[in-house]
Amino acid sequence: MAEPVRVAVTGIGSISSLGHNVAEIWAALEAGKSGIGQLTQAPLDQVNIKIAAEVKNYDETKRFDERELLVYDRYTQFALLAAKEAMADAGIDFKKDAALGLETAVIVASGVGGWSTIDQAFYSLHKLNKPRAHPLTIPRMMISAAASQISMKYGLKGPAFCISSACSSSNHAIGEAYWMIRTGRAKAALAGGSEAEISLTSQRSWESLRVMASDTCRPFSKDRKGMVIGEGAGILVLERLEDAKRRGAKIYCEIAGYGLSADAGDIVMPDADGAARAMRQALQSASLAPDGVDYINAHGTGTQLNDATEVKAIKTVFGDAAKRLMVTSTKSMHGHALGAASALEAVATAKAIVEGVVPPTANYLGPDPDCDLDHVPNTARQAKIRAALSNSLAFGGLNAVVAFKAV
Amino acid sequence: MTDEEIREKIFDIIAKEARIDRGTLTLETKLEDLKIESLDMVQILFGIEDAFDVYVPQDDQSFKLSTLNDVVDGVKRLVAAKQQQTA
Repeated sequence: MAEPVRVAVTGIGSISSLGHNVAEIWAALEAGKSGIGQLTQAPLDQVNIKIAAEVKNYDETKRFDERELLVYDRYTQFALLAAKEAMADAGIDFKKDAALGLETAVIVASGVGGWSTIDQAFYSLHKLNKPRAHPLTIPRMMISAAASQISMKYGLKGPAFCISSACSSSNHAIGEAYWMIRTGRAKAALAGGSEAEISLTSQRSWESLRVMASDTCRPFSKDRKGMVIGEGAGILVLERLEDAKRRGAKIYCEIAGYGLSADAGDIVMPDADGAARAMRQALQSASLAPDGVDYINAHGTGTQLNDATEVKAIKTVFGDAAKRLMVTSTKSMHGHALGAASALEAVATAKAIVEGVVPPTANYLGPDPDCDLDHVPNTARQAKIRAALSNSLAFGGLNAVVAFKAV
Repeated sequence: MTDEEIREKIFDIIAKEARIDRGTLTLETKLEDLKIESLDMVQILFGIEDAFDVYVPQDDQSFKLSTLNDVVDGVKRLVAAKQQQTA
C-alpha cells in the first residue's frame, strides 16, 4: 500500500487585535501582550461590557479600492488580507500556476459571516424605514462570501466553501482541507477562517448569555470572569509535504491529524467526554502517543466552566503525561474571535513550533485548583515542540481538534 | 411596585422559564434545588431585566443568590437604586 499523503503548512497569514500581519501578531504573542482594549465598534453608553479585542488602526480604504469595498464586508476584507499574506509567505503565485489553482481548495470558516452588513440592512429597513436595501447586501453578508472572493481574486478553482460550527469553525475548515489533500481531492488548500461581528447587536447579545468578562480574559486563572470577543482572520496554505519539499518551500510544520466529535448535550454547557473523544481521535489519526505531545493551544475561553472542563478532558486523555504538557490559551491575547478563533490559534501554533517558543496564557493572576496544568502564565517559554494539539470546543457541543507535528 | 408585586412577578418568570410548578415556589426555596439549566437561568435573568427595566450585574459579589428570597431582595435593591437614580 502507498504511504499516506502527508500535509505540510507552508504559508500563514493573519490579522487580529494583535496586529495586521503574522510578524506583528507573533511579536505580541511572544511578549505576552494582550490586544484587548476599550470597545470602539459600539456606543459605550449602550453596552455593559465595554471591552473587546478589536483590529486596531484599520483603514479599509488603504487596503481596498472603492469598487472592492462595495462588495467586501469587514469579515471578507480580513479573510482576503490573511489569504494574501499566506500565499506570499508560501511563495505560491496562483496567477502564474493556473494548473495548481485548478486543484486548490478554499475552505474559509466563519461563525456569522457579514454581520455588519446584515446589521446595517436591518437598521435601515426596520428603524429608518428606508424603501429598499442596498443591492449588494446579499453578496456581502453571505457566510461563504470570503471563500468566494478569495477563489475569484486568485483564480482558485478547486473545491471552495465555508464551514460554520460556531467557535470550532476554523478547526473544522483546516481539518477538512487536510483530509481533502490527504485523500487526493485537492493538491493544495487555503484553509482558515474570518470573523468580524463586533457591534452593538453582537455585544449586547453576548452580554445576555452572561459569559463575558468585564475586566479582561484570564483563561485557567483564578478570578477569571469569562470571555472577551475578538475579531480577525487566519489563513494557512496547506500542500502535500512531498510537493513542498520538491519546490524547496519553507515548511512550518505538518498537519498530522484531526479529531472531531459532538457532545450531544447542552447548547452552551461544555462536556468533558466530547472534548476528550475529539482529542483522542486527533492523537490516533496522527499516530501520536500522549507523551509525544508537548503543547496544547487550548480552547481556553476564560469562562469558569469551559476551562475547568477542558482541563478535566485533557487529564482524561493524557493521564500522567498531562503533567509535562504546556497548555496555554492565546485567547488571553487575541480574544475569542469565534469562527476565526482556531485559525488565529493555528497560526500561533505553527509559529510556536518553528520558533520553539510557547506563547503564554496572559492576564494570569494565580492558580485555580480546577486548572492545575502547566498554563505557562504570562511569560512565553522556550521549548522544543515535537507535536501540538489545537483544541476547539464550540457552543452546541461541536468539537474539533487539529494535531500539528514538527517536520 | 409593591414588594409583593415584585415577588409575584419574579415567581411568574421563574416558573415560566424553568417550567416549574409555580405552586411549589416559596421564598425559602433554594435555587440549587430547582436544578435550573444554564440557558433557563439566562432566560430568567433576561426576564427579570425586561420586567423591571434593570440591569443585573454579572460579577457583582453583592448579588450572591442562594434562595428565592435572595433573588427577590436583589431585585428590590436594583429597583430601588433605579428609582433613586431617576428621582
